[in-house]
Parts: sequence; C-alpha cells; structure tokens
Amino acid sequence: MSLNSSSIPQADVASRPPLLRLDAIGKTFGTHVVLEDIDLSLAAGEVVAIIGPSGSGKSTLLRCINQLEPPTTGRVTIGDTTIEAGHTPTRRELMALRRNIGMVFQSFNLFPHLTVLRNVSLAQERVMGRTREQADAVSMQLLARVGLADKAQQFPSRCSGGQQQRIAIARALALDPQIMLFDEPTSALDPELGLEVLAVMRELAEGGMTMIVVTHEMRFAENVSDRVIIMADGRIVEQGPSGTVMRNPQTERAQRFLHAVKDR
Amino acid sequence: MTQDMLLTMVSGVPWTIALTAVALLIGVVLGIPLCAMRMSKLVVLRMVANTLILTLRAIPPIVWLFFIFFGLDTGFVSLNPFQAAAIGLGLITAANMAEIYRGAMSAIHSGQSEASMALGLSTYHRFFDVLGPQLFRVALPSAASYAIGLLKDSAIASTIGVHEIAFQASHVSQRTFRGLDVYAVAGLLYILLSLPIAWASRWADLHLRARVAR
Amino acid sequence: MNDLVDFWLEHLPAMLDGLLVSVQVTGVSLAIGVPLGLMLALAVQSRSKPMRGIAIVVVEVGRGAPALILLQFTYFGLPNAGLSLDSFASAVIALAWCTGAYTSEIIRAGLEAVPHGQKEAAEAIGLNHLDALRYVILPQALRVSVPALLGFSILMLQASSLCFAIALPELVSQAYLIGSTTFRYMPILVLAGLLYAAICIPATIAVSALERKLGAHA
Ligand SMILES: Nc1ncnc2c1ncn2[C@@H]1O[C@H](COP(=O)(O)OP(=O)(O)OP(=O)(O)O)[C@@H](O)[C@H]1O
Ligand SMILES: [Mg+2]
Repeated sequence: MSLNSSSIPQADVASRPPLLRLDAIGKTFGTHVVLEDIDLSLAAGEVVAIIGPSGSGKSTLLRCINQLEPPTTGRVTIGDTTIEAGHTPTRRELMALRRNIGMVFQSFNLFPHLTVLRNVSLAQERVMGRTREQADAVSMQLLARVGLADKAQQFPSRCSGGQQQRIAIARALALDPQIMLFDEPTSALDPELGLEVLAVMRELAEGGMTMIVVTHEMRFAENVSDRVIIMADGRIVEQGPSGTVMRNPQTERAQRFLHAVKDR
Repeated sequence: MTQDMLLTMVSGVPWTIALTAVALLIGVVLGIPLCAMRMSKLVVLRMVANTLILTLRAIPPIVWLFFIFFGLDTGFVSLNPFQAAAIGLGLITAANMAEIYRGAMSAIHSGQSEASMALGLSTYHRFFDVLGPQLFRVALPSAASYAIGLLKDSAIASTIGVHEIAFQASHVSQRTFRGLDVYAVAGLLYILLSLPIAWASRWADLHLRARVAR
Repeated sequence: MNDLVDFWLEHLPAMLDGLLVSVQVTGVSLAIGVPLGLMLALAVQSRSKPMRGIAIVVVEVGRGAPALILLQFTYFGLPNAGLSLDSFASAVIALAWCTGAYTSEIIRAGLEAVPHGQKEAAEAIGLNHLDALRYVILPQALRVSVPALLGFSILMLQASSLCFAIALPELVSQAYLIGSTTFRYMPILVLAGLLYAAICIPATIAVSALERKLGAHA
C-alpha cells in the first residue's frame, strides 16, 4: 500500500493477469434496461476512467461490481471469488468481494454520528477483526496520508466537503482493498475543493492502486488514467488508452459526447 | 360467545359513536378560539391559552372525567355520565385541535407572525374565505388520526357509567366470567369503527388535494 | 383554604404512594415496550412473510384497540386462558404491548429518516447486515426518534391512570379511594391532577425544547 512506488508503464499493465473481470454484465430495473452486455477486465495497477452522458449507467455499473446493486445477468470475478447473476451470493462471497473493493461515493456518505477516526476504524474492527488500538493506529496513518490526521477526533459535519471526501477515501482504503471504485468523487464539490481530492487520487494512482473512476473531470481522465471507457445508453461505446480515446475517438457516439463536454 | 352477549356489546356502539362525535364537535369548535388566543399578539391571551392547553393535555382524561362527574356534582350542577364525558373529552380535544390548527397554520405560512396577522379581526374575511379551506385540508390528516384516538379514549367513559362499548364489555364479562373473548370482541369493535374514519380521511385528503392543488 | 391544605397534607402520603406505582408501572412498561417496538419495527420490514404478518397484527391491534380494553383483556381475560396475573403484571403486559405498537411506528419513521447512502456505505465497507444496523443505522434512527419517544413516554404515564380499572393502586385509584371514603372528590382529584401536571407539564416543555434544538441542528 505504499504510495511511492513508481507508476506502472502502460505496456506492462496489459500483460498482467486481470484482477477484476466483468463478463456480460446486464442490469434492468423492471423493463428499463440500464446496462447491457458489459465486458471489462482490469489488470493490477490499472487506472480506468469511465465517462459518458448522464443516465448512461456509469453509477449502476460501479454498484453492480460490488453488488450494491445485484446485476441481472453476467458474472463478476475478483481474485478467486466469482459472483454469478441470478444466484444470491453467500455472505462469505459478498465479504470476500467487498473486502477487496473500496468504494467512494459522490455524496461521501460518511457516518455523521461517528468521529472521523471511528469512521475509518469501524470496518477494520468489525470486518477484519482488528482490535480498537490496532484499527485506530492504522486509521491515523491513513488519515495522515490524506492529510487529515488533525481531524481524527472531529465529527464529519465539522469538515469541509473536500475533507469529507478525503476521509471517505481513507475509510475505503482501511480494508486494504485491491481495487478502488470512485463514483464522481468531485461532483459535489467546489472546483477548488475538488482539486485536493483529485490530488489524493492521483497519488493513489501513482502508488499503484487499481482504480475505476467515474468522472466528469476530463483532465483527470486524460492525464491520470491509463484507459478511458466511454459509456452511452448502458453500453461501452468506445475504450482504449486515454490519450487516444480522448483526442481521437473513433465512434460517432463518442465523438458527439466528447464534443459536448470539450469545454470542461 | 352467544348472540345475546354479542348483541349487548354491539348496543354500546351507538353510544361510542355519539360520544366521540359530540366530543369531536366541541373540540373542533372550541379549538378555533383557543388557537387564536394561542397565536394572539397579546401576551396575556397567549399565556392563558398556553396554560389551558398544557393543563388539559398534561392531566389524564380519566382524571378530567372523574373531576367533572364526581367533583362538580357536589353542588348546583348535576351532569349525567354522557354529558360529563362529552364535556371532558371535548375540552381535551379542543386543546389538541388548537395545536393541530396551529401546526397547520405554520405549515401554510412560513412565518408565524404572518399567521397571527391572518387571525386579526381586520382580516376576518381573508381568514375564512382564503385560509380556512386550505387550513382544513392541511389539518385534516392529523385531525382524523386524532379522531381515531378520541374514539379509543371514549372507552374511558365506561368508568363513569356511559353505556358505550367498553362499559357493555365489562358488564357482560362480569356476568359471564368470559373476559377473554368479550374483551377481544370489544377491541375488534373499536378497530372496526376506526376503519371508516381512516378511509374517509384518506378519501377526503385525495379529493381535496386534487381540488386545492388545481 | 387552610382546611384544603390540611386535607391535602393528610392524604399526600397515600397519593405519593399511588404516584410511585404509576411511575413504576410506566417505567417497566417502557423498558419492555420500547425494545419490543424496535423489534416490531424491524420485523415489519422483514423479508419473511409470516414474521411481517405477525408483527403487523401485533402493531395494528396494539394501536387500534383502546389501552383500557387491552388492560381489561390481560387482567380479566387471560385468566380464562389459564393465565392469572396480578394487576401490576397485567398492566405491564398491556401497556408494554401498547408501547411496542406505537413506538414501532416512531422507530420505523426514524429508520426511514436515515439516508439510503448510509446503508450503502456500511455495506460497501463490508459490514454485515447486523453490524450495519447496530453501528450505522440504529444510532442515527434512534437519535431522530428520541423526542417522539420521550413525548410518548409522557403519554404512557397518563395512560397508566387507566390501571384504575384493574385495581392497581396507582394515583387515580388512590384518589378515587380517598374520594369515596371522605366524599370529597373535588379536592382530591384536583390534587391528583396537580401531581400529574407537576410531572407532565415540565416534561412536555422540555421535550418540545429538545425537539426545537434538534430541529435547528438538522
Ligand atoms: N434503483 C433504480 N431504479 C430504477 N431505475 C434506476 C435505478 N437506479 C438507476 N436507475 C436508472 O438507470 C439509469 C442509469 O442510471 P445511473 O445512475 O447508472 O447513470 P449515470 O451514468 O451514473 O448518470 P449520472 O452521470 O447522472 O450520475 C438511469 O436512467 C436511472 O434512472
Ligand atoms: Mg452516476
């Protein structure tokens, strides 16, 4: 979990065995098809940005990966845990999945009744079985990493939005996950506060964390991620190395989307 | 449970309904001036109303009924059980209705000062023509659930001898020593009686919402 | 006037004994009823149909039937089913039932007030269902419910006066007894009312102050 190991070169990434694999993921709400036939595989250390118009299913895809929303069809594989749509996963499978995946929400979702430190420690105690002292020690390190060690004893409501989101990142990192999912982590923030969150994310990426980031920040997608995926209407319409996709999209749908957001 | 027992218990139903209706009427009417006082600009009026409301609500209904029935009966006034119960429950209802009206007022108006202005005599017409119907609609759901509560509270009148459902139930149970089914049926009767109030309130709410919302 | 004060002072000890019984029966009923309400609130949302069905019946009967009838049912009715209880135990069963039914609704509203994102965040960090409830959802839900639960507790103290009907020697029974032996109903009932008011009015004011304070912070 070192932040300082060097960034992994592109070619290297592609040749590694996948850490996460999605096969033919589909999701319908009633008759409304939100995701259709999504395949995706992620190598260790890879940073993938997902962009696309509102309602294209980006959040739903993230939520299907950690089973906050059970997919209607398809298969999610992480390590040696595979969860098939249609079978209710066992508690053990769910735990294995969620311990390996950290998630950061657009609206932070910190626990308002717990101190910042407890927010980060809770799952370590209850899920990993650490003692309170061990958990608090690790939490302090994580908070230091996101630059908020001095806020440990505060309640989240006393922190700015940017600070809250960094705490949420520390909370997600607490289980030592292999993959981090970010759902528009800066959308609820003023641009300035967004920057401090993006800085933490960039550091994580450079430290070799495997990440999927749903974002409206085109600069982040282009500069930090290894790969960009463009979604529209529940499908992946284009994907590839970030530089290529962002500057030279091939499909008409991707061109249209990028043209519409190019000013951001 | 024999038919005879059941009939005796059902004979309490009209009394329960009558008591609830009269007490509700007293409360709905008296609640208006009480609410007006409670929101008045005059500190004295406000304090009097506030004290009345707090006192009426703080003392259990059974104490009010005993007080009115046994307490007041000593001298010049003499009330029958029904009258005593209707007055007692009616006064308590007035206090609660006043609070319900007040809640509705502040739901309609954002500011309380505005709401109390609307209660000034100068704007009498504005109140009754414009605010009144709105107020009615906003207050209706809480008033209806209060009415259901009142229906159940009316059982207390059995303790001073009003011949309503609970009275008949204890009468039958003492006569037959069959408390289990007698009180179960009594409970069921109250639940059944509350259903139409709930339905009517839901119906009126939908109906009025469609109208007022336009 | 002096006469009235003397009368009150003479009977105050008996009245305070009655008040103590009122407070005890209320306290025990709440201590059993509020946890029951929590269980009912969870059961009503449960996925298991039989569980939901039972919970709904318990809640609807507890809320739909007058407390007086519940009291008489447990005291005069249960002996028919071979279960004879003294008036205190009957009162506790009936009032705890009533408390459970009403507080389940209060707590359910509290549970619904917790934003959905909280449950998701708890799930996402790997907490199981029970831990999510215990550490994340319930503390927030109960905090929201506190003013309503306190307000309900005041109502329960008042409802305990109905135990008069099952011969529990609480405040109203004592007042009635004194009234019927001295034929001075009016003054003794005033004293009973004053004792209730002395507890309930300050408590009501405190609860609405708390409500305002919490409301302002939300
Ligand atoms: N729980 C749900 N029930 C029904 N429909 C849903 C649900 N969640 C999402 N949807 C629908 O699925 C579609 C995709 O939603 P999703 O939130 O995944 O889009 P998104 O790409 O994240 O959009 P945004 O950029 O606005 O966040 C939308 O049409 C939405 O209305
Ligand atoms: Mg989204």
